[in-house]
Amino acid sequence: MVQLFIEASVNGVVLGLIYALVALGLSFIWGVMDLVNLAHTEFLMLAMYATYWLWALGKIEPALAVPIVVPVFFGLGWLTYQLLIRNVLRFHMVAQIFATFGLLFLLRYGAFTAFGPNVRGVWATDSGSVWLLGTYISTSKVVAAGVSLAAFGALALFLRRTKPGKALQAVAQSREVALALGIPVERMFALAWGLGIASVALAGAFLSPFYQVSPMLGDAFMLVAFASVVLGGFGRIDGALVGGVCIGVLENVLGTLISPTFKILFVFAVFVLMLVFRPEGLLGESR
Amino acid sequence: MSGRRKLAALGLGLTAAALLPLVVRDAFFLHVMITVFFFGALAQAWNLIGGYAGQISFGHAVFFGLGGYAGAVLLDHYGITPWIGMWVGAAVSVLVSVLIGFPTFHLRRHFFALATMALGEIIRILFLNWPYVGGALGIYYPLQYRNRFGYLMWDRKAPYYLTALTLLVLATALVAVVDRARVGRYLNAIDQDEGTAEMLGIPARKYKMYAMGLSAVVASLCGTIYASYVLYIDPYVVMGGQVSLFLVVVALIGGRGTVWGPVLGAVVIVFLNEYTRYWLGGVGRGLDFVIFGALVMLVSIKEPRGLVGILDRFRREKVAPAPAVPQAAGAAIVDPLPPREIGEPVLEVTTVVKRFGGVQALQGATLEVRRGEIFGLIGPNGAGKSTLFDCITGVQRPDGGSVLLRGVPVFGRSTHAVAWVGISRTFQNMRLFPGMTAWENLMCGQEHRGESLWSATVSAHSHQWREEGEALLALFGLGHIRDLPASNLSYGQQKLLSIATAALRKPAVVLLDEPAAGVNPRLILELGRHIRELNARGITFVIIEHNMDMIMDLADRVAFMAEGRVVAVGPPEKIQRDAQVLDLYYGR
Repeated sequence: MVQLFIEASVNGVVLGLIYALVALGLSFIWGVMDLVNLAHTEFLMLAMYATYWLWALGKIEPALAVPIVVPVFFGLGWLTYQLLIRNVLRFHMVAQIFATFGLLFLLRYGAFTAFGPNVRGVWATDSGSVWLLGTYISTSKVVAAGVSLAAFGALALFLRRTKPGKALQAVAQSREVALALGIPVERMFALAWGLGIASVALAGAFLSPFYQVSPMLGDAFMLVAFASVVLGGFGRIDGALVGGVCIGVLENVLGTLISPTFKILFVFAVFVLMLVFRPEGLLGESR
Repeated sequence: MSGRRKLAALGLGLTAAALLPLVVRDAFFLHVMITVFFFGALAQAWNLIGGYAGQISFGHAVFFGLGGYAGAVLLDHYGITPWIGMWVGAAVSVLVSVLIGFPTFHLRRHFFALATMALGEIIRILFLNWPYVGGALGIYYPLQYRNRFGYLMWDRKAPYYLTALTLLVLATALVAVVDRARVGRYLNAIDQDEGTAEMLGIPARKYKMYAMGLSAVVASLCGTIYASYVLYIDPYVVMGGQVSLFLVVVALIGGRGTVWGPVLGAVVIVFLNEYTRYWLGGVGRGLDFVIFGALVMLVSIKEPRGLVGILDRFRREKVAPAPAVPQAAGAAIVDPLPPREIGEPVLEVTTVVKRFGGVQALQGATLEVRRGEIFGLIGPNGAGKSTLFDCITGVQRPDGGSVLLRGVPVFGRSTHAVAWVGISRTFQNMRLFPGMTAWENLMCGQEHRGESLWSATVSAHSHQWREEGEALLALFGLGHIRDLPASNLSYGQQKLLSIATAALRKPAVVLLDEPAAGVNPRLILELGRHIRELNARGITFVIIEHNMDMIMDLADRVAFMAEGRVVAVGPPEKIQRDAQVLDLYYGR
């Protein structure tokens, strides 16, 4: 029993770190510009397709695809801001929700039309398993979890130590003041979108070796990503990390101890309870 | 088109639609039409909460599914007709809508959107694993009840066609009623600026719950009848996220917050969807949804009212810009104002304390306003004047002290309840409902205490309020801009309108937050005159103002605030010469 619990917890933390990496960009964009991107996990799906096709057609291993996929998706994020988001910023929040809702449809069914409904997976050479705290976990999952931690660290360093990072923080606190200080707010927003989508592409590349992709993949990850962000505290980078890990552990431990059928139900239930009772999240300041 | 011709056209169209199955026998076409009716009615249901109230639900399939399951389970397990089952489903749906709406409606609205999405998934998973309702296998309708009106089951498509058409007509009629009645304006008001709506006494959460409940009932009824049509039900068919998202697309592209948008959207979207599948077969899978996605994005950028908005543009000639206030309109007809009498204390503010983190915004502010007074509140920026207004009106929760209006404690009440007691207020950055006309804005200011949901739904504004409104518009010289959208008005006109709206229901006290800020000198004079006129009709005013000329001219008494306290109170001449005031305000 104890052994089972430990195994579930370790698996949960690893899975949670991957969730956190998926949620990172969502939380980041939310924090910088107070905008919920409903299409966030559709970019995850597209990045996994990109990784898949690079492997299937170009014989490029997923890890080696990162230098190609991540910059391309940075560009996609930038472009999404310039073409769509910039035009709805002056409207009511409702219009912003609808804009990304339309984008979700476009990307999800675009992939459906282009690639068909089939599930596709990268059959990478088996990288084996590693022994971690009393349990064996596949190496590719541990690598993905490590990449997640590294990405969080890198983003934190970028925000604290660099000039654009500090400018992003200023923009997040007040657009008007940032503008008055001469910070190019629009360019910062575009940068946030670039970074946010690039980070979810990173998650996609490292998810590919052990997770198959289909056009509906975004749907499967969407609520998990939102739950991570809301659980940790929206708009905070560390919120996504804490929230993601909590969700991963919760899903695995309760799924193992009670019933695997209902594990995703626990996640959603916690999500709704969180929205109702503590919408500012675990790390957020209470109102 | 005149009203009667419109009605005739509507009746003709409806008759033609009802007779269509006599002419067209193509089963696929009839199926598409039935689907149009179902999704039209579903989109109308969504329109009530997502269109009018602006609360976006991504989980409406839950109500659709609950209705379907109620019909199927009762018929399959107990032989109870769907005619009864549909109302059981509706009751359960209302319960669920309250459970999700009540806790999330006071949060920012993307939380509501996310919560509905999660709720949809939760209920779908529960039903997938609940043997009583057939789990993942679903329920097949028992066919021995076929071809009996009492069981809503037929072999042919035509009866379903007529049933679904009736459903769409009823749903559209309900939306039309809401659109024309007061409740429609209130929902719009809540959508556009909840704070101002509350300040006028509109209980926002109550109206949102009401719209959500109505919406759940309509969606649930659709579900019961739909299940009777497809004769089979499982969680994917009626509760899938696809259904939820699809009906949002229908409503959005057609035009949310309009009577005909969802109908138009259903016709266009369902036909595109069904016939691309028919013609393109496997080749163009999903292509129609790509187009829908692009259209939704376009709608969000270009035309928030979707196809209806686009059609409107063709029909209507350009709206002329608001004519300027005619020079000195009404200035000549100033009646001599009756002598006023200053009465007993009406608003008593005692030692109000408010902290923001470490900052003491109010440190025991105390003042007493008498009935019939025009009371000025002055002081440097950051003195706590607006915070005091916020505490009185329930926008901020004070940390201590008390406020009495005519002896009734006001603290701890929500904003609309404060309005009901008899306090009205305008904001510093004046806030009107930009999407409504001047008249609609003004009418939102009617008395809401004791107003029942039923009366707000079945009737327009009463004769009394319309008369009061017309009189106030005339008094303020705004009659000529009556039907212009508030967003087209000049700054000064918006100022006047916001004060008129606050004063319409003749509250005991009106709090004005910097009415003269950003207003030209001539309009300031006019504003002062209107405040005097309203005051002569028995409204007490408390005015925060930096324009000293105006306040010295208008006010009977002035209170000077600094650092969260009322430092001095007295007649304006005295305050003007008060050494402490001069020192604190002007730094002399």
